[in-house]
Amino acid sequence: MPELLRPASVDEAAGLFASHGAAAAILAGGTGLLRETHPSDDGVLIALDRLGLDRVESRDGGWSVGAAVSLSGLRAAVPIPALQAATREIGGPAVQNMATVGGNLFARAPFGDLAPALLALGARLVFASADGEEEQPIEAFYAGWSEDGAPRAGLLTRIEIDEPAGAVSYLKCARRRYASPSVVSVAASVEKDGSGAVSDARIALSGASAHPFRCAAAEQAVIGAGLDDAAMAAAGAAAEAAVTPATDPVASDWYRRRMAGVFVRRALAALA
Amino acid sequence: MSIKQLGVVGRNVGQRDLESHARGQTTYYEDVHYPRMLHLKMHRSAEPHARIVSVDTSAAQASPGVVCVLTHEDLPGKKVWNGLAAVGVGPEDEPILAFDKVRWRGEPIVAVLGESAEAARAGAAKVKVEYDPLPGVFDVEEAIAGAAPALTAHWPRNHYIYPDDHAAAQIRYGDVEAGFADADHIVEDRYQTSPIEQAPMETNGCIAKPGGDGRITVHTNTQAVHFARDNTAAILGIAPGKLRFLGGTVGGGFGGKVDVAVEPISVLGAMRTGRPVKFKYTREEEMQVSSTRSAWRLYIKDGVMNDGRIVARKITSYQDSGAYLRFSSYGSMKHAGHMPGPYTIPNVWVDARVVFTNRPPSSAMRGFGVMAASFAIELQMDKIAKTIGMDPWQLRLLNAYRNDDMKAHRKEVEDAAMVETIQAAARLAGQELPAEYQAMTSWDRKAG
Amino acid sequence: MEAKLIRLTVNGRDETVVADPLATLQDVLRDTLQLTAVKSGCGQGGCGSCSVLVDGELRLSCLTLAERVEGTEVTTLEGLNETNAIVPLQQAFVENYAAQCGYCTAGMVMAAKALLDRNPAPSRDEIVEGLSGNLCRCTGFAPIVRAVQQAAQALSDTGEEAS
Repeated sequence: MPELLRPASVDEAAGLFASHGAAAAILAGGTGLLRETHPSDDGVLIALDRLGLDRVESRDGGWSVGAAVSLSGLRAAVPIPALQAATREIGGPAVQNMATVGGNLFARAPFGDLAPALLALGARLVFASADGEEEQPIEAFYAGWSEDGAPRAGLLTRIEIDEPAGAVSYLKCARRRYASPSVVSVAASVEKDGSGAVSDARIALSGASAHPFRCAAAEQAVIGAGLDDAAMAAAGAAAEAAVTPATDPVASDWYRRRMAGVFVRRALAALA
Repeated sequence: MSIKQLGVVGRNVGQRDLESHARGQTTYYEDVHYPRMLHLKMHRSAEPHARIVSVDTSAAQASPGVVCVLTHEDLPGKKVWNGLAAVGVGPEDEPILAFDKVRWRGEPIVAVLGESAEAARAGAAKVKVEYDPLPGVFDVEEAIAGAAPALTAHWPRNHYIYPDDHAAAQIRYGDVEAGFADADHIVEDRYQTSPIEQAPMETNGCIAKPGGDGRITVHTNTQAVHFARDNTAAILGIAPGKLRFLGGTVGGGFGGKVDVAVEPISVLGAMRTGRPVKFKYTREEEMQVSSTRSAWRLYIKDGVMNDGRIVARKITSYQDSGAYLRFSSYGSMKHAGHMPGPYTIPNVWVDARVVFTNRPPSSAMRGFGVMAASFAIELQMDKIAKTIGMDPWQLRLLNAYRNDDMKAHRKEVEDAAMVETIQAAARLAGQELPAEYQAMTSWDRKAG
Repeated sequence: MEAKLIRLTVNGRDETVVADPLATLQDVLRDTLQLTAVKSGCGQGGCGSCSVLVDGELRLSCLTLAERVEGTEVTTLEGLNETNAIVPLQQAFVENYAAQCGYCTAGMVMAAKALLDRNPAPSRDEIVEGLSGNLCRCTGFAPIVRAVQQAAQALSDTGEEAS
């Protein structure tokens, strides 16, 4: 029987997470974990519901989002349209009321549509462990993923999101609108200089590789150029070449690769 | 009785159970609660084709909360069955619980009854089956080619043999080879459909409850309550009067709840334990184990004249029945009965075969056998239109059957409405038809 | 682990139930309290047939642990008819033939109620989005959307609440 532990502080939770090792699973919204958990399984479930991690705090220049904030809670509290669009396309309203921001960052393909938006926004993740707090860029977190999924670095407690400097877009390719796992999802943000040339770009994809990632090749294809058709097509082609998608019941790798290119191009076109 | 006397044509008729649905008052099979109810979970084959070397249920029996474990040795009546055996279709080819071999991944082997669904699930997971894997066959044409292993002794070539000793449901009408020789064009292609899960919102399930009078009451969501009762009784070797089957509102069926997949083993569990037994398919079982609409492969060869008349049609089709027969012979008969589509063609040749593979058994779904036939024929009609450069509406109107035409099954057409239906569809679609096509009727061949 | 006592309010009544460890809210509602309008089509959050309101918010009871709804107010479809009168939202489902087998209906009505409670005049698109977590395999979605449109219109005409 997996034991349900409901620690009352972040320190206690981080300690339990460390001491139980691989036997511990983090229970946030439950929309992913409880599908796979049977009452007679071994191990422990560490619930986040008593840690006060379900709040969004507005700070100077951005927001501190607790890891256990629901997707609908994020949408209500953080008025970045691309991020709000991402939350609307994960499950239906009930799932969005239950699933958490933190939990979605650990979801495996074909789920996990929040990550590209947060990658494009340059979000930072804060982990608690016995050694204290550690903050890392979200791309560093995904760089640490292996075939088994996320590294067990510590307990994700909050996500730091700054107000975007430039424009941000988010697009999801799915089999139907709403409540559908992704073929691919794409987010892009660009900053432009006075001449209209792209001075900085962040282009991220989910569902297109083993884990969400920033596509440096696609970014390089637009930096220094204007967002014209040629640059956007080059970025799409670069993304197509960079992704390593899987075949599953939602889509084939062939289709995912092509949609990665198409949706990178469209995400950039939305910013042109 | 005339249509006028029916009194409902042209009027909205209230759906009797709508308010009950909207209030949440409708009772489905699993809305009945009994104390001391056991839950049944099935240990299923992990192999698509294998000899069973051994089955070890000791760990399952020792698992917490497990009350009873049932294998083929516990079956008091039949070991194999077919749902249509009572009406002369057969042979009985499908094990109720697998014994010497498994022939598809997901085939039931051991039923485990526990105090809770979780106890039964955990117990079923502890059954150990040792397999000696056999080569599998997953393609209908490979299955009937000589090299494929025979799935059962009933059909050495892996295709069904109809009671009159034919290898296929056949139509022989006119002379197709002569028709092809006369034709201006030959149009041929291969068509393939996929298995489709009926996917009802409510999965297959039942509750079997023993009563003090020696009868067992079964709450079931079957689409065929008397059929399910009679087959359950026949399988268990008990009198149908010992079983009281209560149907009711079915939470979606679409042909996916006629296989008598849950009732016999649940009744046996209730007989053995004296306790109510519930067997509810998980969503995974519903999607992966319950029967689907069959996949079909069709080859169509048509002889067509320059003016669009189809003078010969030859069809070979293969229904993938999966590992066992179930109702597939009936499906292929309906399939053949639908050929050559709603068109009058003077020379027709059809072979509709039922083929066995190591895929999950397929069964009924809306328009059993007919959907695949229509799909292939109408794609073929479009291909003909493209090949000879004719408007596809006109091609269909020209060839559509008329009253008193002789169909390939040697039955005269009555009450034809194909021409008028196409004309109405053209009007709705804004498709302009030439005057001669607008003037066509279902009676014009006789007149002309 | 031992069974726990859970106190919660269900359809306006205070309830104390004994729940096994890792029992779900669905288990408590369907099996303990026998509120069988709550359906169980998939057990994995994919179909919406088990949708209920927890403190007014739409939730999937199959993926909600009973222990975590301690002290909350839960509403199931049965809770809409405490006075036995059919409510406008249900009436709209009846008048629009918005059910065939009826298995999805309870979840659909609860999702529609959650939507209308926070947005009494939704656009067609907002209705589609609001019902997007609920699957129907037989009626088709169009009559269900029409029912919610009619209910919203009826509510704005009378100034009543959805249910």
